[in-house]
Amino acid sequence: MTDSGPRATVSGRDEFPAAPSVRQRAMRLFLSDYFVLYLSLAYFLVLVPFLPTLSNPANLANILSNMWPLLVVAVGQTFVLTIAGIDLSQGSVVGFTSVIGAMLLATSASPDVLSNAPIWGLIIDEAGGPLANVPGGVLVAIVAMVAAGAMIGAANGLAIAHFRMPPFMVTLVTMIVISAFAIFLTQSENIRNLPESYIQLGKGDIVSVYFGEQAESRIPRRQIHSFITYPMLIAVSVAILAHVLLNSTVFGRQVFAIGTNRRAAEISGIPVRRVIVLVFTISAICATIGALLYSTRLEAGRPTLGDGNFLLDVIGATVIGGTSLFGGKGKIIWTVFGVFFFVLLSNTLNLMNLSSFHIDMVKGAVIVAAALLDVLRTRLIRGEAS
Amino acid sequence: MKRISTLIAGAAFATAGLGIATPASAATICFAFQDLETEFWVAGHTAITRTLEEAGHTVIERNANEDANRQLEQVRDCIAQGVDGIIIIPQDGESAVTIVNEAQDNDVPIAVFNRPPSDLSKGIVVVADNASIASQAVDFLAKEAIASRDGDGKLTPMIIVGDLGDPNAVGRKDGFYAALENYPDDFNTPIEVASDWDAATALANLEAAVTANPDIDLLFTSSDFLFPTIRSVFEPRGMWAKRGEEGHVVMGGLDGDATACQLLKDGYIDSTGVQDLYFEAEAALSAILAAIEAGEAQPNEVIEDPGFALTSANLAEREMDMWGCVLLSEGFLDQ
Repeated sequence: MTDSGPRATVSGRDEFPAAPSVRQRAMRLFLSDYFVLYLSLAYFLVLVPFLPTLSNPANLANILSNMWPLLVVAVGQTFVLTIAGIDLSQGSVVGFTSVIGAMLLATSASPDVLSNAPIWGLIIDEAGGPLANVPGGVLVAIVAMVAAGAMIGAANGLAIAHFRMPPFMVTLVTMIVISAFAIFLTQSENIRNLPESYIQLGKGDIVSVYFGEQAESRIPRRQIHSFITYPMLIAVSVAILAHVLLNSTVFGRQVFAIGTNRRAAEISGIPVRRVIVLVFTISAICATIGALLYSTRLEAGRPTLGDGNFLLDVIGATVIGGTSLFGGKGKIIWTVFGVFFFVLLSNTLNLMNLSSFHIDMVKGAVIVAAALLDVLRTRLIRGEAS
Repeated sequence: MKRISTLIAGAAFATAGLGIATPASAATICFAFQDLETEFWVAGHTAITRTLEEAGHTVIERNANEDANRQLEQVRDCIAQGVDGIIIIPQDGESAVTIVNEAQDNDVPIAVFNRPPSDLSKGIVVVADNASIASQAVDFLAKEAIASRDGDGKLTPMIIVGDLGDPNAVGRKDGFYAALENYPDDFNTPIEVASDWDAATALANLEAAVTANPDIDLLFTSSDFLFPTIRSVFEPRGMWAKRGEEGHVVMGGLDGDATACQLLKDGYIDSTGVQDLYFEAEAALSAILAAIEAGEAQPNEVIEDPGFALTSANLAEREMDMWGCVLLSEGFLDQ
C-alpha cells in the first residue's frame, strides 16, 4: 500500500527513508487488509485473562464450527454488496432449500406431523422421500437444492438487472414469498429423520484432536475436539473458489467495475445485466450451501431456518470485514476475517453471560461502528491517493 | 420489575417445600431456554433459576430468542465452559433431539423441561400428559355446550392448534379430538385454526375463521396465552360474554396461567387444563442434580406431569392447585 523503496531527495542523493512514525504505522495498520484480523486477535488476547474458557480447546473448536456455515452465506453476500446491491432473500433461501433437501432425503416421516402438508403423499410419506436409501441420492438432492436456490437467485438478478428494480425491494419481496412458500410446503413443520451420510456433511469430523496424556482407556468425548471437519472443507473450498473468481478473473473485475459505477461499466461494454444476474445467482447458491450446513447440523429441514436475526449476522459479518455497503470494494479474505470477528464476538458475549437482548444490541452497535470505520477508511485511502 | 418480583415470590412460594436432591458440592447448571414469551415460560424460568441459586448452585442462562441454531451453539458453549448439567426448554421437538444427543455425546447430563424431544428415549424429559389434560378440559366444555344447546342441531366446535412441530401441540390437539369422539352425535367436524404459537398468526387466522363460521358453540385454545387474542376477535362480534349471558361461547384452554384463572373466575371461560408447573420444575431439578451427584452422564428418564382440569365446577376447591391462580392471588395481573 505504501512505497518502501529508496526515494530521490531534493539534493539528488538516494537515501533510505526514515523509519515510519507511530502515526504512520497506526495508519498503515488501520488501512491494512488484515486490520480486522489484527483487531480480532487483539480482542481475543485482551479478553483471555478475564474469560479463561475463551482459549479452551473446546471453545476454540466451537468458534470454528460456528464460523463455517455463516462464512459460506457471507461469501455470497460479499459479491452482492460489491456491486452495490443487497440480498435480503438469503435467509429465506436457506429455509426453503433445507426443506427441499430434507423432503427428498428423509428416511421416514410421521403423518401426525406432516399429513396436512401439501407435500404429504406427493413427495414424502411414511416411507420417507423419493431419494431415501437411493444410491447417490444425497448428491442428487444437493443438486436439486442448488438448482432451486440458483433459480431464486437468477430471478432476483433478472428483476434487478432487466427491470432496474432496487435490489432491496426485489430481495425483500423474494424473502417474504419464499419464506411463506417454505412454510406452506410443510405447514411450518420440520422434516427430520435425515440419512446419516447427509448429516455427516454438517457434523462429520475428519481430524479430531486430544490434548494431554491418555491416562484412561477411554478418552471422554468432551475432551476430543473437532479440528478438520466436513463443514470446514466445504466452507474453505467455497471461500477459495470465490476468492479466485472475484480477484483473478475478468468476471471479478466486472463485478468491481459495476459496483464502482454502473453507468461507466455499461459504457465500457461490460455485460452489466449478465453480471448482475450471475452475482445474485452466486449469492443464492452460497445460501443453499449454507442451508446444507445448517440443516445437517440441526438434523432437520426447517422452513424457518434463516429467520430472525440471521441476516443481521450475515450482512453484519460481511460489513465488519470491510466490504463496502456502497459497492466497488470487497474481498473474500475480509469476509473471512469479518465472520471470524463476528463469531468471536458472539462467543465472548455468551461467555460473559449476557442476555440475548444485550448480545444483539452489542452486535448492532459493532456493525454500526464497522460501517463508520468503512467510511473513515475510504476517506483516508482517497486522501492518501490524492 | 414488579411483575418479575411477583413471579419470584410465586416461585419461592411454590418451591419452599421442595425436597430437591442437591449434590454435595455446588454444581454449575446451564439453563438454555428458547424464549420467555408466555406467562408459563416466565414462571418456569423463575422457578428453576430461583431454586437453583437458593440451593447454592451457579446458573448460566442462555436465551436463544427462538432460534434453534443459536440454541445449539449456546449449548455447545455451555459444554465448553465445563458445566455439570444442562436444562433446556427447546425451540421444538426436533432441535431437542439434536441438542440432547450433543450433550450426551459430551458426557453432560441434560434435562428437557416441558417441551419434549420428538424422541423420548434420551435425556431426562419432564413433560405434561398434554393429551389427557386437554381431554379433561374439553370433556367439561363438551358437556357444558350440550347442556346449553338450543334445539337438537349439532354443535360447531373450534380448536386453535399450536405449532404441530411441538409434541405438546400435537398432544393437546389429540386430547381435544379424543374428548369430542365421546359425543359423535352432538358435534360437527371441528374447525381448526393454526396459530404456530404466534399471537399475530392466531389473530389473523381466527378472524378469518370466525368470519366464515360465526356460529361457533365451543372453542378450545391449545394455550392460555391466546385468550387476549381471542377476546380481541370475539368482543367486537358480541361473542365475548360471561356464562349465562347472551352470546357466551363455551371456551377453554390449557396451561393454567394467571389470565386463564381470572377469566375463569369472571365467567368468560369455562375450563382450562393445568400443567403443574412447580411439579415439573421440581422434577427436572431433582433428576438433573441426582444425575450429577451420581456421576451419571447419560440419564434417560421420562417424568410425566398428570395435570388436571380446573373448571367452573371445581374452581372453589382446586383453585390454589393451579400455578396461575397462585400468581393471581399475589396480584400478578395488577402490575
